[in-house]
Amino acid sequence: MKKKILVANRGEIAIRLIRAIQEMGYEAVAVYETPDEMSRHIRIADEAYLLGDGPRVDYLNIEKIIRAAKRSGACAIHPGYGFLAENPFFAKACENNGIIFIGPTAEIINNLGNKVIARRIMAEAGIPMVPGTQNLKQGREGVAEALDFAARYGYPLMLKATSGGGGRGIRRIESDSELKEQLPVARAEALAAFNDDSVYLEKLVVNPKHVEVQILADSHGHTLHLGTRDCSIQRRNQKLVEIAPSMIKNQALLDEICDTAVRAARAANYLNAGTVEFLIDRDQRYYFMEINTRVQVEHTVTEMITGIDIVRNQINIAFGKPLSFTQDDVQIRGHAIEVRINAEDPKNDFMPEGGKKVHVYRSTGGFGVRLDGFVYQGYIIPEVYDSLLVKLTVHGFTWEETVGRLKRCLQNFAIRGPKTTIPFYMNIANERDFLSGNFDTSYIESHPHIFVYDEDASEVGKLARFIAKIHYSRENPFSK
Amino acid sequence: MTRILQGSSVETILTTLRQAKGYYITNTARDQSQSDFKNRILLHTDLMAAKHRDRAGYFSLEITGGASIHVDILRKQVDPFLKLKKLRERMPGTMFQTLCRGVNLFGYRPYPQNVIRFTVREFAKYVDVWRTFDFLNHVPNMYAVFEEVSKAGKLNEPCLCFSTGPEHSNAYYLSKAEELLAVTGRDVTLCIKNHGGLGTPKRIGELVDALKQRFPEVIIHYHGHNTDGNDIGRIVEAVRNGATIVDAADSAFSGFYGPPPILTVVQTLREYGHEPEGLDEEAVIATSEAIRDQRRHYEQFESQIKGFQPTVQIHKLPGGAMGSSLEQAAKGGFLDRMPEILHKELPRVQQELGNYWSVTPGSQILWTTAVANVLGGERYGNPSGDLRNLLLGKYGPFPFYRPEEWIYRKVLGDDWEEVLEREGGTEKVLEVDLAHERYALAEQIGVEPTDEQLVLYLQHPGDAVEFFKFNEKYGQVYVLGPEVFFRRGGFDIGEKINFRDHHGKEHMIEIGPSPVNDAGETSVYFSVDHHPSIFTFKTKAAAAGPGEAPILGKEEILDLAKMGDVRSPFSGKIVEISVQEGQEVLVGDRVAIMEAMKMQTPILAEMAGIVTLVSAKKGDSLKPGGRILKIDVNE
Repeated sequence: MKKKILVANRGEIAIRLIRAIQEMGYEAVAVYETPDEMSRHIRIADEAYLLGDGPRVDYLNIEKIIRAAKRSGACAIHPGYGFLAENPFFAKACENNGIIFIGPTAEIINNLGNKVIARRIMAEAGIPMVPGTQNLKQGREGVAEALDFAARYGYPLMLKATSGGGGRGIRRIESDSELKEQLPVARAEALAAFNDDSVYLEKLVVNPKHVEVQILADSHGHTLHLGTRDCSIQRRNQKLVEIAPSMIKNQALLDEICDTAVRAARAANYLNAGTVEFLIDRDQRYYFMEINTRVQVEHTVTEMITGIDIVRNQINIAFGKPLSFTQDDVQIRGHAIEVRINAEDPKNDFMPEGGKKVHVYRSTGGFGVRLDGFVYQGYIIPEVYDSLLVKLTVHGFTWEETVGRLKRCLQNFAIRGPKTTIPFYMNIANERDFLSGNFDTSYIESHPHIFVYDEDASEVGKLARFIAKIHYSRENPFSK
Repeated sequence: MTRILQGSSVETILTTLRQAKGYYITNTARDQSQSDFKNRILLHTDLMAAKHRDRAGYFSLEITGGASIHVDILRKQVDPFLKLKKLRERMPGTMFQTLCRGVNLFGYRPYPQNVIRFTVREFAKYVDVWRTFDFLNHVPNMYAVFEEVSKAGKLNEPCLCFSTGPEHSNAYYLSKAEELLAVTGRDVTLCIKNHGGLGTPKRIGELVDALKQRFPEVIIHYHGHNTDGNDIGRIVEAVRNGATIVDAADSAFSGFYGPPPILTVVQTLREYGHEPEGLDEEAVIATSEAIRDQRRHYEQFESQIKGFQPTVQIHKLPGGAMGSSLEQAAKGGFLDRMPEILHKELPRVQQELGNYWSVTPGSQILWTTAVANVLGGERYGNPSGDLRNLLLGKYGPFPFYRPEEWIYRKVLGDDWEEVLEREGGTEKVLEVDLAHERYALAEQIGVEPTDEQLVLYLQHPGDAVEFFKFNEKYGQVYVLGPEVFFRRGGFDIGEKINFRDHHGKEHMIEIGPSPVNDAGETSVYFSVDHHPSIFTFKTKAAAAGPGEAPILGKEEILDLAKMGDVRSPFSGKIVEISVQEGQEVLVGDRVAIMEAMKMQTPILAEMAGIVTLVSAKKGDSLKPGGRILKIDVNE
């Protein structure tokens, strides 16, 4: 009997995983919640199990998924990204039930998911990190300590509450006087908010680039990297455009970052596929941020430039096989760009277009084009899940060729019904800084004109344009 | 007083008509628009009239077909199908009628059989009465339309195109009617299509009488034009001799070349004891009251020459072509030659070319030939491609007699007999691959086309694509009235334009200033539903692209052509460039085809040599003297 692998996810990643499983000669088992009963991943899988009515609770229900795996006879589970992908309890539950979890061990997930532990591991391994202090001492001693740190690293700095999180208890400090003034205020606030008045300082990396390294590590002691990706174009920490490799012209720096990533993974005893994220400042200093212990949305760009199927390797690694290639075998060829085509209105704060029906769906194709989609003509944008329609990944030999291909593909799409992010990406693809590979995490806010387009102009907007044309061309062409 | 309601079966319609004591009226709104307003009456105006027209109780509203399909998408920017849907919403009770040119559909040249059938099927969803004709009264040209209309369960109205002259006898028309009815059966309405408004009331009365004597159970529908001011007389005699349905139009827009006013017809026939069936005269009056005020916005489309034209009995131009012919004469600067063209040359050409019926596309052939004969100096010296096709019998056989040999020689060349032998006969138009056409259209507009879009594309490929793109860019502009759509000279600052969009939403646009910046760009400021909007227009660069050239005289153009510099001999559009750079040509070889006034004309090489430069491309609009290509001596 063929081996079965359960896919504990939905959407485009479920289809991506099922494809790899089936290509390897295994059978794919899908699970779903009731709102997904029309979904494509169920049709494509070899069998499917209803978990419950959901939404977004059954995909997170470890017990139900383990039960589905046992009922189907699946020997392994791939969690994809999101949902249970970085939940150590899920990995542990798989282990306890004799099911292979396709990913790192529960312990690794746990360690790297905890900022304090992760930072400690990396510090011990000598991985560069954003400079920061320990908890500042109370009173004048603490002020002196803080001024000392500021003198060493310069402003701006971030003053953070140790027990804070989720963006709360953080303030930006620009000068000595501001530091002296804010320190007691921050303590008082932290005490009130978190019942803990400890605070510490961290260097603020202004408008960094977000560069990450794809890692593969097997259980035979081989850890290697698949080069860099740049995910700087993001909005409130949500990535919009991802490219591979990084466009930083300094190859020695990129090589060093890749080697550092491998060292970091080794330090964490890392197993399976993971991503080491770095921030790079304007002076090309780089700082470790975190390790993501899952396959990432943007893994496609790395696959395009290396030709290596990451999901396939994840499965092989989980089954205890050694990697079939060495670091020297990994060759970076050309450039790749991925955009997430979402049913959202970028002009309206990327508001999802949930509930709308896709009346027309025409996709693109041709040389160097990859689509990882979930949408089809007649698809109704779910209100309870994400609004991703399709990921478009283009690959080209040169950067210019790749951007040209991206533009052509965006043009080819015809999606009627919901608003989409296509015209927004079109503006990016035509924008000068993007074309010259010059962008960092401030890109979206520093280029507000990429929100100016009228592809989806309202009926009255179109008629106004018509009236303006009549008004402007005094010799009305319709009156001849 | 029995009104025939939309949705009735053909059987019910005919039973009602056969039992009728009085007569019925078709409101010929489309023909009125075409004959007197260059087909430009907007859907907006028809929608204003819709409720009253529905209440009036006509046999039908003739509102689509003829040239209107093309003008809808080309000039009025309205989808001909959407037009019918919107009118149907407000006119649930009235049958809609079309005018179909048989194998030429709504265009000027024969279409492939599968295109004809597909087109008829799509339109038959909205059109209840199908008036179908052929300008040579060649019945096989109408087979496909008859069949599809029948299949769709709609009413066929085959036409006898009518004209005058010794050949146009009752005997001829009776035998033609026999031939038609043998194909369609007798459950049709038979139309006497008097597109020129020819003949006297007496002549029409005799013809109707003869038809009714021979075919008592066949319903006669008389269609005429008021070009000579006497159509009321013809209508009266038609009804007195047994016609059951007649054509007339709303008085608020009545002009010279279209149908006469409905109310005058009703009042006159009442004197003779004939009453209109199912007609609400108050609603007829209310219709004109509702739209009377709109007429001033259409003034620029009215005829260049005001007044009736009794001389139509000599030149026989159809009412639907009068306006465009006069416009062409005015634009071409030969309005002063019109008496010569209309009263001398046109009747002569008509006699020479077989005295067939002067109606589309045959009327255009007669007209362009007569114009070319007068302006060109040499009769038949510069024959159009369509005249050539007529002589080759591509449209069908000549009904009475063939033109004389010398005309064949002029048009087809000295080896005309061979040419006729080789190329003559009805054109077998190859079927097109509809799936392929659909794909080609999808490629051009970026979405999967609807069947209706495909139909429009198959009629007028280039114009349909332009229209779909226009629609995508500017939305459904039919919601704007003629005072906006046809406005010249721009709007006033502070002027407010109110309208309800296609989805029923109310909007207001207020016009703001339009400053010009240093770069020469104009910014048009509007307040759209109280939100400021700016539309920027780049200054038009003085275009001097291919084809643009100073206007040259006819002789200069011919001189240049003899030196290998091939220029456009008239204002028109390139339909085809027949040669490629580097190709060898001989004198008389066709190098391009141009189209003007819907007629195609081949452009021939005047010098032998090699084509060295092609400056114009398919679709370019050229002025006289516009560059097409260059031929160099082959050394």
